[in-house]
Amino acid sequence: MLIKKEEELDDIIICQKCFTIHKIVEIKDGSKALCSECKNILYRYDSNLAKKGLALSITAFIFLLIANIFPLVMVNILGNESYITISKTFLMLFDSGFFIVGFMVMSLIFLFPFIITILYMIIFFLLYFKIGKRLSRDILILISHIEPWSMAEIFLVSILVSLVKLIGYAQIHIGVSFWALILYIIFDIYITKSIRIYELWSLRERVFYK
Amino acid sequence: MEIDEKRLILCPVCGAVNINRGKNNICRRCDCYIHKHGRFKTEKSWAYLITAIIAYIPANLYPMLITSQFGHREGSTILGGVILLWEHGSYPIALVIFFASMVIPILKFMILIYLLISVKFPLKRDSKIDKHKLFYFTELIGPWSMIDVFVVAILAGLINMANIQILAGTASSAFAISVFFTLLSAHSFDRELIK
Repeated sequence: MLIKKEEELDDIIICQKCFTIHKIVEIKDGSKALCSECKNILYRYDSNLAKKGLALSITAFIFLLIANIFPLVMVNILGNESYITISKTFLMLFDSGFFIVGFMVMSLIFLFPFIITILYMIIFFLLYFKIGKRLSRDILILISHIEPWSMAEIFLVSILVSLVKLIGYAQIHIGVSFWALILYIIFDIYITKSIRIYELWSLRERVFYK
Repeated sequence: MEIDEKRLILCPVCGAVNINRGKNNICRRCDCYIHKHGRFKTEKSWAYLITAIIAYIPANLYPMLITSQFGHREGSTILGGVILLWEHGSYPIALVIFFASMVIPILKFMILIYLLISVKFPLKRDSKIDKHKLFYFTELIGPWSMIDVFVVAILAGLINMANIQILAGTASSAFAISVFFTLLSAHSFDRELIK
């Protein structure tokens, strides 16, 4: 392969799934480029990415707030009522002395989802208003370090599993937070999984260097 | 300048393509180090993986959940819980728990051991692309083994009444540590070493 300057490496992309090398081609607005080897999505081009991302991340943040305020599930066993919130899951573990699990659960379902959503809000804000060249770089680095540790969607599946376990023993009432959590996860999956971190880096390059 | 395609490396942080210059590669876009390792290439990954496997043993021996009804305490291990659910007829949930806490961790251990060994002793007939796909697959399924820990946390928080209580067991700590170190092991594995 012959290149003149190191900047020409920007025209090459390596597939995240199978590590094959591809040349970047220009694609239409709103379409996506797939890997020829494994059909994994390499990149998309969306001219409204910053605007869309800002709107979606603010929405996700509002739903995450609601999900953390109200009870997730209420149960009634033989006349005893009980409810659970997101914070109660790990506070209860702290109470019974399970500090390691409690700390992990707190980070994975409470701290990291909040941090990730706030970071995405800031990054889309910066890219939309075209400010903060250095700050946007630092935030993008932080996002790619924290993102694999945010497990809100796995927590949702766990709630469903534990509810099925309780069927037959208890009367179950679904709370407001449960629906808010589902909506948060839909937006979160779109922001963190569907928009690749690579697209944000190339958007940052388009905004600040071209 | 002429560059061999094998010398192109991927920055794990931002996904930019860089030229491999030997030991200390710094990404030209995000200024992060790209897998800085000297003589020890896979040792860090091995250490995390062995820790995870050791933690997985008590996770299966000790009770995961302790149910306390009218003062009568009863603990159930991971496998015991799955069998109990299967006998009660909730097959889908039994399968979910079985996959999340037995199949996924063991599969991940085996795939990581295979990949780490194949870095040193590559088998000719296994293609590079398949190994990369295998690694991508382990990263994708890895976090899902946390389901059981979350279920224990939810049930312990929810069922906490005067007569009936569900408490977390010792295995939940061990299992959480095991999952955490498996994830760390996969993260510290340098994909450029796959050949």
